Amino acid sequence: MREQVVCKTTDIQPGQMMESVFGKQDVLVCRTPDGDFYAFRNQCTHQGAPLHKGMMCGATTEQSEPGEYQYCHRGEIIRCPWHGREFDIKNDGRMLANPDKKLPSFKVRVENENVIVYK
Amino acid sequence: MPKQRIPLVDTDIHERVQYEELLQYLDEPFKHYITNCHWIQEKHMPYTQPSVAGVDRADAVVPDGRPAGSDLAFMQEQLLDDIGHEFGILTGALDPSPSSMHGWYEMAAALASAYNDWQIDKWLDQDERLYGSVHVAAQDRDEAVKEIERVGDHPKMVQVLLPIDDIMWGDPYYHPIFEAAEKHDLMIGMHHNEPPVYYGKWPRYFIEWHTLIPTAHMKQVTNMIFNGVFDKFPNLGLMMIEGGFTFIPHLMWKMDQQFRDLRHEVPWLKRKPSDIMKDQVRFCTQPSEELNKKDFMSLIDQMGTDEMICFATDYPHWDYDSPHRALPNLDPELKQKIYSENARNFYPKIPKSGGEIT
Repeated sequence: MREQVVCKTTDIQPGQMMESVFGKQDVLVCRTPDGDFYAFRNQCTHQGAPLHKGMMCGATTEQSEPGEYQYCHRGEIIRCPWHGREFDIKNDGRMLANPDKKLPSFKVRVENENVIVYK
Repeated sequence: MPKQRIPLVDTDIHERVQYEELLQYLDEPFKHYITNCHWIQEKHMPYTQPSVAGVDRADAVVPDGRPAGSDLAFMQEQLLDDIGHEFGILTGALDPSPSSMHGWYEMAAALASAYNDWQIDKWLDQDERLYGSVHVAAQDRDEAVKEIERVGDHPKMVQVLLPIDDIMWGDPYYHPIFEAAEKHDLMIGMHHNEPPVYYGKWPRYFIEWHTLIPTAHMKQVTNMIFNGVFDKFPNLGLMMIEGGFTFIPHLMWKMDQQFRDLRHEVPWLKRKPSDIMKDQVRFCTQPSEELNKKDFMSLIDQMGTDEMICFATDYPHWDYDSPHRALPNLDPELKQKIYSENARNFYPKIPKSGGEIT
């Protein structure tokens, strides 16, 4: 099994993300507000923007009615720095506007203070 | 993996000025109004741009914190050197946009002159790849002509910039602007600003306005053609910037059909509208719409020419099109035309010889 320490748990506060590498691949490591870690390919599926330059935020949801916003998933959505496409961290990196598309993801585990990405 | 470099002629790059940089190029009393009276240009849009960082790519902010597009060195690093640009055409930021001021045209004209001097000084003279646009306060036609006469023969000024706003520029009243442009081998570049494109008002949501921008571009092309601009000024060309290109076949068919029925009203047209478009109107590709190759080639086929569209990035704005990813993978000859040759053939002042795309 291929695995690699991509950062320390203390490198990322809940609600933040950072870029790292896994082998030769650029990886985006995200820590959701509940403290969990996730890792995705650090490149938007649309035009290849570096996702770590975007933001982790919430989302207006499809439960919203015309003229009335519902906002949740705070800190669980990655938004692309270019075209603003939204990817749901806790739903396997699926794009909100088109859930058939998703960011390629990596398995993550935490041992001691190491965040380890593995295949 | 290193990226393939693309010898691109980029037809839409937004450099950005900050008001304090313009002061040295402004006379009084205009300097006073900015320095002491805190003048900023009027704003109209009721929304923000609901992306990550407003109008800009979130990663294009200058590392020292200045706004995206305001620093040549960073633009060189992030765009020109990284992509492999041969040439890029500066189209200004949206603020200030002298021709979009709805009053105080003296200030608009002064800003246009200051902006042109700043653009030449800080950008065109600093990077041989960059070409520029002449900013004018076109609401005041005669002042606009004076400004074109003043800077239009600069070897790196390639077009006069007109906003797509609430003025239809094909009206004969504005033809002296086109006469002056043609005299200096300048084309006309039209870029939307923050106009109401929706029956004189704003739609409720930004996404509606942004979706409908091409309709404003269609209005201007139709207006310029049926007002006879292109037969009157046969060496003039019009570049439509940031309206996309997928509406082109519809507009050609519609204008030709209308011309067959209603030519009587516009007898000064010597060619059918679609032929005028093919000869004298060009369209920037951005913002592209994720066409696959089959659909893209079908569209080219419907246009009847592969020489009407020119690649643009729109850097540093959020709806930037990546030269590597925005269009489908095209055959080398067509790629060469869209990424380089079409723009070279359109702008007389851009050097004709170029590198091959590998």
